[in-house]
Amino acid sequence: MENAIEVKGMQKIFGEHTAINKVSFNVKQGEIFGFLGPSGSGKTTTVKVLTGELKQTVGDVKVLGIDSENFGSSAFKSQVGILSDNSSLYERLTIYDNLKLFCKLYGAPLKQIDVVLREVNLHDERSKIVSTLSKGMKQRVLLAKALIHNPKLVFLDEPTSALDPGNMAHIHRGLQKLNEAGTTIFLTTHNMEEATELCDRVAFLHNGELQELDSPNSLRYKYSTHAFHVETFKGNRLVIDNQPDQADQIRDLIANGEIKAMHTDNPTLGQIFLKVTGKELE
Amino acid sequence: MSVQRIHAIFEKDLKDLPRNIALLMLPVSNILLALIYSLTVDGEPPIAFLYLIAGATFSMVTSGIMMSMIAEENEKNTMRGLIQSPASLLDIIIGKSLVTGIITAISLMVSLMIVGIEPLMNFRAIIGLILMFLFFLLVGIGIGLFSKSLAATSGYLMPVMFLFGFTPMIATFQLAEDSIIIRTTNTFPIMQAIELYDNNFWMPLGILTAWIIGAALFTFICFRKVMTDD
Repeated sequence: MENAIEVKGMQKIFGEHTAINKVSFNVKQGEIFGFLGPSGSGKTTTVKVLTGELKQTVGDVKVLGIDSENFGSSAFKSQVGILSDNSSLYERLTIYDNLKLFCKLYGAPLKQIDVVLREVNLHDERSKIVSTLSKGMKQRVLLAKALIHNPKLVFLDEPTSALDPGNMAHIHRGLQKLNEAGTTIFLTTHNMEEATELCDRVAFLHNGELQELDSPNSLRYKYSTHAFHVETFKGNRLVIDNQPDQADQIRDLIANGEIKAMHTDNPTLGQIFLKVTGKELE
Repeated sequence: MSVQRIHAIFEKDLKDLPRNIALLMLPVSNILLALIYSLTVDGEPPIAFLYLIAGATFSMVTSGIMMSMIAEENEKNTMRGLIQSPASLLDIIIGKSLVTGIITAISLMVSLMIVGIEPLMNFRAIIGLILMFLFFLLVGIGIGLFSKSLAATSGYLMPVMFLFGFTPMIATFQLAEDSIIIRTTNTFPIMQAIELYDNNFWMPLGILTAWIIGAALFTFICFRKVMTDD
């Protein structure tokens, strides 16, 4: 499988501050890649470099086979969709007029407006003026704007941060559908459940350095103690190591019908992040 | 550069303008100003008076609308969305310039019709007005590009209006003809447009062109700054 993003030894230095320090990673075409890190970890700077808004100080960056030198080209821009934390809309115009502008700028057919509005659950609100919308609705319009031209790769920065659970689930289904159709998604999020549910692989960034990169399940397995946590009907809580010599104890508990609940000790991505970086995701 | 993208920007700004009260006030104030001026003049207005109306239109409407539109895109972060799209900064500026051009033309026609447009309906006057429009448009683009907020543009618009828009008003200060202020302001675009209308052709045309080149250089520097900001 070809890579949608290739980053080799990337450094971004602002004055004396190193925002990104020798970061290397690849994002495969067609995957949902989660980029996780607390505020100030270098996440946004990385996205800005990958979208051509900033130029890396050192290193090689390629997106969809295009070298970073050519990120300003129409060929690059027409294949990439961006929803960043400071994306905005024309407040005095309707949802439809906002999307119509970008449809025309990207040379996409106008019927695409209805398609994306259905995907973000806003088709019935298309004539509303943007300034009258709630924060969550604006977020969904921004997502529709990022997808209006059917990009091969989308950068989504906290796409569901302002959404209620119903709309979040709707957007998640939409993103999965989009991904199934072949779109690569580069997702930055603080929502660990979202990352676990959506991402094929996640990368942890801390102080501008990559700390971990793997699938959520592999990371959870890697950082698991592999012990079984057992709760009995008598109210006892036991921790049993996943070792051959502990098999009898588990067998006896099952045979005596004592087990009320049993689960493996798989940490959440948030717990793993805390373990790796010593810092919680804010 | 793409005609389709320029048209998209033009269409968006044209739809947005009637809903933008602050911007609409600029051509409306200009027309009101022309009405007030017309009440103070009896008979055919002097040429300097007509150019004062034109200067007010170009500074308030052309420069004012242009810098406000670009600064608002900067302030509200919508410029980033446009630049991230395949539209180039040139597409964006041309689209906005077309809207500004239409509003300027309407505002100028209405204002001049109020005070008496006939003396300016000739080749020399029209050439002068077109060159003045280009100068004020470029100044508006340049200031808009480096302005981070809409509020800042009002601060920049004032000197543009008083220095370049209302230059003929300097006559009301009764300064000596050979004073440094008069000699300097006589080279300003609006005074050269009057000179172009009244007397010479090539000399004021050259000076006006030099002003346009200066404004274009200023705009180009602002343009480069926007494109290379890290």
